[in-house]
Amino acid sequence: MAAAFMAYPELRHPFQAKPIHAKGSASVLYQGRQITLAETGSGPGLLINPEDLKRINGFELKPEGVCYADMCIPLNSKLLTTQNGKQWFDLTAFADLLEQPYVVDQESKVWSFAEIPAKRDNMMVNGMAPEFEIPDRKGNVIRMTDLKGKKALIVTWSSW
Amino acid sequence: MPVWQQVYEEINDPDFVILCVAEDTGGEAVAGPIFDAANATYIQIVDADHIISSAFNFINVPSAAWIDEEGRIVRIDEGTYAKVHELGDEKRTITFGTDVYTPALRDWVAKGDKSEHVQSVETVTGNIRELSFDQQKADAAFRLANLFRGHGLTEKAEEYWNLTQTLNPDSINFFRQNLTLSEEGSAGESFMVRRGEYESQKKDYYRPLDLE
Repeated sequence: MAAAFMAYPELRHPFQAKPIHAKGSASVLYQGRQITLAETGSGPGLLINPEDLKRINGFELKPEGVCYADMCIPLNSKLLTTQNGKQWFDLTAFADLLEQPYVVDQESKVWSFAEIPAKRDNMMVNGMAPEFEIPDRKGNVIRMTDLKGKKALIVTWSSW
Repeated sequence: MPVWQQVYEEINDPDFVILCVAEDTGGEAVAGPIFDAANATYIQIVDADHIISSAFNFINVPSAAWIDEEGRIVRIDEGTYAKVHELGDEKRTITFGTDVYTPALRDWVAKGDKSEHVQSVETVTGNIRELSFDQQKADAAFRLANLFRGHGLTEKAEEYWNLTQTLNPDSINFFRQNLTLSEEGSAGESFMVRRGEYESQKKDYYRPLDLE
């Protein structure tokens, strides 16, 4: 096979430099989405407005804790903090608690989160298909739950 | 991809779907024409961030899962070829793929749980790759690199793509995807060296097909 048979040299640097988000904002990457946060607290971790939590990872603050589906994580003083009279949710402390890996580029203020392991127990333990949500080429959002009632072959490939 | 279209048309069952997922940071520009040339009518996904590979713990392409009507995985993570492929000319021919996978798939679609190719929960969960904390972290690094690349920040993209491969050196997907941006491409010398290392360490480039 010729060495450069599958290379796409014209696509190496096809993008013009452009800002990732407005100045002063931060971004979270999760499950293929970029969520922009207009305001964050100060400090090395990622302190978010508690109201932003649901649109990031589906969790919600409830009296019994931080909840997603039938899972609730009890709140503690590390997860909710106050700065200058404003309450913040510490998303990186939450990730540490859930053993959810993440990578941060502090200079660009972008936090990229891998999946939450507890959300994957049903696959790892029970062999159930994982949740996902991804657009197809027609722009329809495809979710695993939409495929219920049909048999599905999910097959990956690549152009490279 | 024409082969999967052919399989899809042959099976022709309204209760069977194929999700064909291109793991390509090059996006629609590189994967789209291949789908179009295949006249694909199954569900076509261009997955620049490798979301689907992450979801199923796949580290190479092609890989696949069979999901039944209840959302249960009944087979997972096999080198999934629809037929035997031959590349090359009279002097040198490369053969890869298998002719046993498609008949097994067809059998499952027809018989469901009664197909002999349906695997138990224990077999399926045993076949799902266990990824370490760092290997999962590699997914986050990869997406960060892709974001930077898309915004023209190529040095940062390279930094986090390198981190991705440090965190998950076993991922053929990440290794070859990154090579697509190099002069030699994804199937050049570096790939051949890596593939040789993989085999000499007796790692599964693909998990062997458990089909007769």
